[in-house]
Amino acid sequence: MAESHTWGPCQPSQTVSNVIQNHPHYLPFNVLLFKPPPVNESMGSSQCVYFRMLYHYLDQKRKEGSARLHATYLVSGKFVENGTTSHKVSVVREDQLEDAKSKMSLTVSVHVYSVQKAVLKDSGPLYSADYDAVKENLRNCSRYSAIRCADAVPRSSAEVLQACETTQAPPPETEQIKANHSNLASKPTSKQPKGIMGMFANKNVSKNQDSSKEIKLEQKDDAPVVETSKTKPAAKTNPVSNFFGKQAAKKPDKSIKEEVEIARTSSSVVEKPSSPPPKAETPVKEELAKDAVVEKDIRSKTKRLEHSDSEEEKSESRRMKRRRIKKPEPDSSDDEVIPDSPPRLQEKRDPSPIPEIQVKKEPVAVSHSDELSDCKRRKRRRVLKSCTFVDDEGCIVTEKGYESESYSETEDDFKVSKPTPKNPNPPKPSTGKKEEEKKKKAAAASNKSTKQASITGFFQKK
Amino acid sequence: MTTLTRQDLNFGQVVADILCEFLEVAIHLILYVREVYPSGIFQKRKKYNVPVQMSCHPELNQYIHDTLHCVKPLIEKNDAEKVVVVIMDKEHHPVERFVFEISQPPLLSIRHPRPTPIRIPSDTLLSHVEQLLRAVILKISVCDAVLENNPPGCTFTVLVHTREAATRNMEKVQVIKDFPWIVADEQEVHMQEPRLIPLKTMTSDIVKMQLYVEERAQKAS
Repeated sequence: MAESHTWGPCQPSQTVSNVIQNHPHYLPFNVLLFKPPPVNESMGSSQCVYFRMLYHYLDQKRKEGSARLHATYLVSGKFVENGTTSHKVSVVREDQLEDAKSKMSLTVSVHVYSVQKAVLKDSGPLYSADYDAVKENLRNCSRYSAIRCADAVPRSSAEVLQACETTQAPPPETEQIKANHSNLASKPTSKQPKGIMGMFANKNVSKNQDSSKEIKLEQKDDAPVVETSKTKPAAKTNPVSNFFGKQAAKKPDKSIKEEVEIARTSSSVVEKPSSPPPKAETPVKEELAKDAVVEKDIRSKTKRLEHSDSEEEKSESRRMKRRRIKKPEPDSSDDEVIPDSPPRLQEKRDPSPIPEIQVKKEPVAVSHSDELSDCKRRKRRRVLKSCTFVDDEGCIVTEKGYESESYSETEDDFKVSKPTPKNPNPPKPSTGKKEEEKKKKAAAASNKSTKQASITGFFQKK
Repeated sequence: MTTLTRQDLNFGQVVADILCEFLEVAIHLILYVREVYPSGIFQKRKKYNVPVQMSCHPELNQYIHDTLHCVKPLIEKNDAEKVVVVIMDKEHHPVERFVFEISQPPLLSIRHPRPTPIRIPSDTLLSHVEQLLRAVILKISVCDAVLENNPPGCTFTVLVHTREAATRNMEKVQVIKDFPWIVADEQEVHMQEPRLIPLKTMTSDIVKMQLYVEERAQKAS
């Protein structure tokens, strides 16, 4: 075995032959399938050396004409398909090598992947050949790779844990960052940026000033969590006022949805105002009905949603106090409802695993809103509908059942006034059945009239 | 490590199941590698965590399945000595014979009057057997290197070499299964001027198996 050999860039062919023949993967006397193993501690050399050895061996044997050898090649390079560029790595037979290289826009690497006597019909043997070796050295496969970096040192377990913790604790930082973004977005009033930023950019500065004053007053009262709230009030006044504007209503639903979700996930602001306007609630709740995934506690979410359409002062007071308090009533003149500003909402955005129950309650309230937004949203709902048909016996049967249908908000506005068809449902099916029975009886009676009057008629004759 | 007797574990059934599974994979692979049927009817499947080729033709699959179903009782009782896959040309002359010689360790044989308790490393037994079977599959995949090409229009059949007493049981099984087994012709059993090519030998605690190929010197008819 060539265990003590140290390999340079190019080795004599005789030594290469010895290496291959003495290698445990070599199948002597009749079958040969040689692949550079992923790990070779005895050789102590990288795979690149193996590839060069293989090429050298193959080339020499073909020149000698002593053995009928077939090789597979590994080709890698840039591949452009349908306008997308990707790095493609493929193992191809020798007769397909040129074709594979021509298809690539840039060929990065070509080397011999395996050498064997038989013509491989598929790639199964290539995978099976070193299956056990790969499994045994699964964690050391890259140890003998030619790609090396002296500075790359594996992390210790403590460092890995710290990295995981840092990735899990971004909310306060991101919230501040987004607050800063919202502040920046609120400055230019002439343009209307899209998305969340647009909600902060529409309203005037005067509202910001008023809200800031109110915030300052509230700050005096509430000690905790002042730092984050300082960045938020200015941003919150604009977005909250923007939410009530029609233009802001035209912003994509996604932004509203994000805020709604963030409001739900927020843990600090919980209480809602005593009399929230129904109009402000509807856009938020409509989005809740759309999005099946909702997180956080039921009570906190419903309350937050109701209070979401509060005025700037109330929202600010809510944000200032990181505890459950009731929000003041929102401004009724505003059309749209937006729960909280994004910075606040984002910090509460960490998912907690209690979302779904909230969704069920909210759609009920959503239907009552009329003037929420100009954008139409299609939803699906179950509606009781009656279906009349003729059964096998020829009776007209009326059955009632729930069917799902899509509807838009504008349509729903007209239908809101109608009572929900829950109560009248139970008696209707029963009446339907009674109708069937009556009809059947009528049909049976009519049939009987054509036949004999009664069964006893048989016995009377006798 | 567990001390068990054959009766406790019914090793015969275990060995028979394992071998029949393996033989089914091997037969499909032989048909694919030797191009007995077009490669289009085969699809890649996974067995023993490696890709193998398996036929999609329902009648072919049913034939192989029924054949091995009848062989299984023989393997359970250690009555089957060899299972041979014979590839024949158009004149029904064998051109290749893939011979699977099967034997079980004597301690595991039910014929032993007093089965001796044996120690079985139960936690590693099947993984080692799987590894060995994987090696046999690999050898079948690359057996093209040592075999000449077959003439076109070849067919195949499966022969089982058993003890004489086992044939009576085969008749019973035949009636039950409605799958006729007949005594093989002499020309199917013996080949003219065969060339012996060993492929793989497998030795484990539960079964010993040897795979070799008998190839006719001149295949072209």
